[in-house]
Amino acid sequence: MDDSLLAVKGVSKTFGGVVRALDDISLAARRNEIVGVVGENGAGKSTLMKILVGVYPPDKGELYHKGEKVPFPRDPKEAAKRGISIVYQEKGVIPWLKVYQFLFLGHEDKYVKFSKLQTDKMKKQAADILEELHVKCDAEVFMHELPLSTQKMVEIARAILSVRLESGEDGTTPIIILDEPTGPLNDEERRELFNDLLEMKKNASFFFISHIIPEVREFTDRVHVLRDGKLVANYDFSEEKIAEEDLFRAIVGRESSEYISKVEIKGLASKTVALTAKDLTKKGHYYDITFDLHEEECVGIFGPAGSGKSQIIRTIAGIMSFEKGELVVNGQKLKASELPYVRLKKGIGYFSGETGKELFLNWPILKNISFVNIQKILCKFMPVINFNAERKMAQRIVQLLRIRTPSVNTDCYSLSGGNKQKVSVGKWVERKPDILLLDDPTIGIDVGAREDIYEVLSEMKKSGICMILVSDDPKEYSILCDRIMFVMDGRIQKVLSPDEFRKVVGI
Amino acid sequence: MKRSTGNRLIPAVIVRTLKEQPVIIALIAVFVLFSILFPDRFLSFLNFKTILRQFITLTLFAMGPSIVVVTGSLDLSYVGIWMLGGILVWLCMPVFGLLSIFVILLLGVTTGFVIGVIQTKAKIPSFILTLSLLVTYWGLTALLSGGYPRPVRGYGFITTRLIPYIPTTLLWSIPIIAAAIFIMKCTKIGTYLYAIGSNEEGAQLAGINVDKYKILAFTLSGLFTGIGSMILFQHLGGSTPVELNLNTVVWPLVAIVLGGTPLMGGSGGPQRTILGAFTFCVFYRGVYISPLHPYSVQLLVGLLLIVSIIVSARGLKSVTIT
Repeated sequence: MDDSLLAVKGVSKTFGGVVRALDDISLAARRNEIVGVVGENGAGKSTLMKILVGVYPPDKGELYHKGEKVPFPRDPKEAAKRGISIVYQEKGVIPWLKVYQFLFLGHEDKYVKFSKLQTDKMKKQAADILEELHVKCDAEVFMHELPLSTQKMVEIARAILSVRLESGEDGTTPIIILDEPTGPLNDEERRELFNDLLEMKKNASFFFISHIIPEVREFTDRVHVLRDGKLVANYDFSEEKIAEEDLFRAIVGRESSEYISKVEIKGLASKTVALTAKDLTKKGHYYDITFDLHEEECVGIFGPAGSGKSQIIRTIAGIMSFEKGELVVNGQKLKASELPYVRLKKGIGYFSGETGKELFLNWPILKNISFVNIQKILCKFMPVINFNAERKMAQRIVQLLRIRTPSVNTDCYSLSGGNKQKVSVGKWVERKPDILLLDDPTIGIDVGAREDIYEVLSEMKKSGICMILVSDDPKEYSILCDRIMFVMDGRIQKVLSPDEFRKVVGI
Repeated sequence: MKRSTGNRLIPAVIVRTLKEQPVIIALIAVFVLFSILFPDRFLSFLNFKTILRQFITLTLFAMGPSIVVVTGSLDLSYVGIWMLGGILVWLCMPVFGLLSIFVILLLGVTTGFVIGVIQTKAKIPSFILTLSLLVTYWGLTALLSGGYPRPVRGYGFITTRLIPYIPTTLLWSIPIIAAAIFIMKCTKIGTYLYAIGSNEEGAQLAGINVDKYKILAFTLSGLFTGIGSMILFQHLGGSTPVELNLNTVVWPLVAIVLGGTPLMGGSGGPQRTILGAFTFCVFYRGVYISPLHPYSVQLLVGLLLIVSIIVSARGLKSVTIT
């Protein structure tokens, strides 16, 4: 570890005394190398990096800079003094600043003379550093005029610059953390970014966070794999060649190789097709998605985070649009971009488990349940809500889903997480859309509440409603789904039956 | 979860009402304060009459906008509709006769609809949009009128006294207020408007045509402002001013916020605005008859607006749509 530029040893971090985010992590970066840090969402990658830049303090652990023990930084400015800076995944760019303004943002103090900004000096220095780092752009254009990959490069240049300005000219080699920098880029832009990065490597070291396996294999020198807060594997690409499958297994902790390509579910062919997707494509998210959804069927879209599964379900819900392909529901062809209310009219309901997204927290339970079902509870001859019917409907749902509450008039914000979720599901149980899209329906709630929700969803399935499920929890697929499509890098790789799926993920 | 009521002297219903509508406490406090300070002038018949007159004006102006505020937007165009509407009545009088008064209604609905369409399609803040429109209408009013208020005769029947001591305008406004409350509380439209104000993304995901209902909210606001202006036209003298008075713009806003409708939307609504308007009128009259300098009234109104915005945004976040 003597040649390491920056090293952490035995770092642990717990949140709220319960969630163990990091457990005894040790890793290091040498001079002029790109170190990959990979893992699924929630594996602890971001927490670790936030500790390095001083956003969180660690519970335990040591930090070594050039072989010397140093305390952990307490804020990003202190981190920059040690040479560490971060480029966040999104929202880092300020579109209406010019490149040089953006580069020196937060460091203007150093360029003030008689309380006037020395813009000429800033422009010149900006041009110098852009040239030095091989970023091909003019210092006086607006950020939003640049292509996305160049914006990312400018952000990286800014990170390097802030290290230099904070630590004194050329004092230390900058260590730049790149948090999933290729997220919004297409293939070509990715390649460009990596070529530039390889060039920049001469001046800096990088921590490269990603979950896109091919790019990690191709462009990093070494890779650390995190899973559930633990360091599970280290690979050095200069010494050995690692197969994609091995890396995948290390990341998700299960096999990915033995997939059976075709699945026949008995009796499925006789059922009517409710939804057909043909060659659905949105560049950068998913490609050529083709499948049928039958009545009384639940299809799961499974894959690691970043595989495009949530984008697919959101496209069907009408939150995103698709670029190519066809989407047919009940014999009707859907437009590429339609708002959720149009899709609902055609029978597609969307349920997201993300906390609070679907709920009106300052409303009583009964309003939350009734408002998508308002047509059912209007008086016979007038468009007026029948409050009695409304209450009865809510009471029925509360009983069905075993929502624990003193009354249906209780405001939702005072309910527990599981009960909130049940209320959110409840409105769709009552509405009975032809197709129900489930986007992580039980995220973050306890086992008991999950069971209740699964039970009701299974009942709905039996009554003829078909569903599409996307989840982070493999168990959920094996409970609810009849078929599971395995998606990676935006493409359907294999289709599995529940039994096969269980074997593959090992549950 | 139920806390045992420690004080049995006060029934639970009253406690709950006060908790949900703290403005009632403010109203009682203000009333008692001024009654003690100025028993002669405050507790007089004349003063009550003035309060009532002011209350009606304020409520009718604030009714429409409070529907928009529920959705989390803001509509300041009411004074513009009233001013321009008055001049249009004067212009139409020779052609349409007494029917001209309905021009205000037409103007209100059109204005609301246009604001709604622009706001949802161009996605600009409603505050700036309606403020610009208000200024535009003001300019148009001055231009059309030639710079002088133009009185119109013939609408005296609107304010003819039917019941002794009770202004007829009050009788007119009762069904209007009732209609506004009814729409917001008992219909699908109202439910959806509260949904949009409470959680716009959630409403969108649940399959509500958010843009359509936002346009509808502005149109309803224009409609209620239009009807209100028709009544107020005679009530406020049968002619409209050509100079914009900031008070007429700000006071309805104070009434809405004071009533407990947070500017972020999602709760409150017309029924709260009535209480807010009444409290404001009592407060205003109290300050007005006090020996304080007339200008200090403006100061206090400004402070009141700030305080009530903070209270309605923070303290009442959890309060439901009651």
